[in-house]
Amino acid sequence: MDPSSLNSAELEQFLSQEKERAMVNEMVAKLTSACWDKCITSSPGSKFSSSETSCLSNCAHRYMDMSLIIMKRFQSMN
Amino acid sequence: MDSFSSHSSMGSGSPQMSTEDLKDQLKTQLAQAYAQEFLETVREKCFDKCITKPGSSLSGSESSCISRCVERYIEATGIISRALFSAPR
Repeated sequence: MDPSSLNSAELEQFLSQEKERAMVNEMVAKLTSACWDKCITSSPGSKFSSSETSCLSNCAHRYMDMSLIIMKRFQSMN
Repeated sequence: MDSFSSHSSMGSGSPQMSTEDLKDQLKTQLAQAYAQEFLETVREKCFDKCITKPGSSLSGSESSCISRCVERYIEATGIISRALFSAPR
């Protein structure tokens, strides 16, 4: 493999994009797993009830709210 | 031995892998890794929900539960994804 192509800006950009994609993927996966456990308490049906759907959506939003609080709290401690 | 080494150039005259090929190969491997991880999670969740008392074979209700579970988990992933990246608070 041509060594200069390993250092190319193009490859660097590609790798940093893929890194970001991987982080996004991990966040969605973790959150889906946690929110599934919190919200889907009975045997899975042929569709979600509206309360299950709202729970899942709320779960993601509240997680983000919490994340913000934690960051602010952490920063105020420095 | 990973699949990269089968493409590496060991001597003069052998074909070199272009950046494009490398990118494609990385993308394929990443997609496969993501899919594997997802499948592992689905297996875990659906085993928990649907196989509460393992019998000597899968019952019809266990099988249908598993089917529904897989669909619902995929749907849940979409709901979470959209909540994180499009819907406003």
